[in-house]
Amino acid sequence: MALATTILATVITITSSAAAHHVGSYVPRDNAVTTNFKQIKFSVQAKRFDVALQLFESGAVRAEMRAQAAVLPAGLEEATRAALREGDGLEVERRLMIFFAALARDLAVEADRQLGEPGVTPETRAATGRKFLEAIWRYYNLVDFAVAMRDSKSSVAVRLAFDEAEGYVKPAAGSAAPDDPAKARQPIQRIAQVLSTLIETSSTSARRSS
Amino acid sequence: MSVVANASVWRLPPRWVLLVALLSIACAEIGGAAMARFKVELARWARDRMLARPAVHGLVGVRDVDERILDEALVKFDAGLRLFHMHAEGMGLVIIATTMVATTMAQSVAVRRTITALLTTGGAGYPVGYLLWSALIPSYGPDGAKTIAEWLVWVPFGSATIAALWWLVGLVALRMLRPEK
Repeated sequence: MALATTILATVITITSSAAAHHVGSYVPRDNAVTTNFKQIKFSVQAKRFDVALQLFESGAVRAEMRAQAAVLPAGLEEATRAALREGDGLEVERRLMIFFAALARDLAVEADRQLGEPGVTPETRAATGRKFLEAIWRYYNLVDFAVAMRDSKSSVAVRLAFDEAEGYVKPAAGSAAPDDPAKARQPIQRIAQVLSTLIETSSTSARRSS
Repeated sequence: MSVVANASVWRLPPRWVLLVALLSIACAEIGGAAMARFKVELARWARDRMLARPAVHGLVGVRDVDERILDEALVKFDAGLRLFHMHAEGMGLVIIATTMVATTMAQSVAVRRTITALLTTGGAGYPVGYLLWSALIPSYGPDGAKTIAEWLVWVPFGSATIAALWWLVGLVALRMLRPEK
């Protein structure tokens, strides 16, 4: 009886053991830019503009603005600094929204380019698409509320395009590669277009109001 | 040949078993100390190896995407070392405790030796899987390394431990139902 119990328990345990090893879990962390953005945002919400300015001057957001100056609307860094000095929370939010929309747009443009490269297997293409979409969302998600408050149509358009793109690169049933992950290019292009327009209109309206 | 064990007296397992168990604990301590002392060097080594194998890790050449991938692999690389440290410590004690039960309760020499061998090899080998997983992550990625560690170490050594433990459970239950005369 003991032997039978042992064999039964062993068979049940061993057959399910292959995927049962505890290897921990990974929770994606904020990078330096998103961390600094949150610090600035919370300081602005608490109306501590002096702290927000200090965090901006010494943080990764400003460093990234300088690194990406060539592809960002002209004068974004100075305008953000000026808004912080004046204690204009809405204007700070708008400038940061433009910055993160630009980061997300550039990622969408690069994703579209890489997904269009010939000679790539569907598995690799789908994996690349998923990684880019994750990176795009990490940035866009930070400012989606600010986008929705100013231009709800753009917010909805980005979200819909994002969902559609995710559907094309998501693994099919049984972890098989999706049929045609290159289809994700179309919604990703739409994300880039919508964000480009948003950046343009927001920068223009920001200039007009300043 | 069978030996009538007096269950009221705890018997020590063979010395080689104690040596293996203590070696496992000693390796865990060395691993833990090395992990703390060489944390930066280990992370740098792993990162360099991962950057040298962009295709394995699915790096796309865009910092905002790649940093997340590298971060996940480095977190798992570190987790593997930590899990080796903890499992090797714990399994060392498990080996001592369970082989002591086997030595005391198993009457048949063959059964006693088999259970002891399974518990010792399984218990000492299983934690090495975490070390192997961690060491292979930079070259094969977290999932590829996990598959190798799983089939080379975790499944065989883990199964040996599980089988021996259930065998021991059965033996103890049997001794309760049919007490020694």
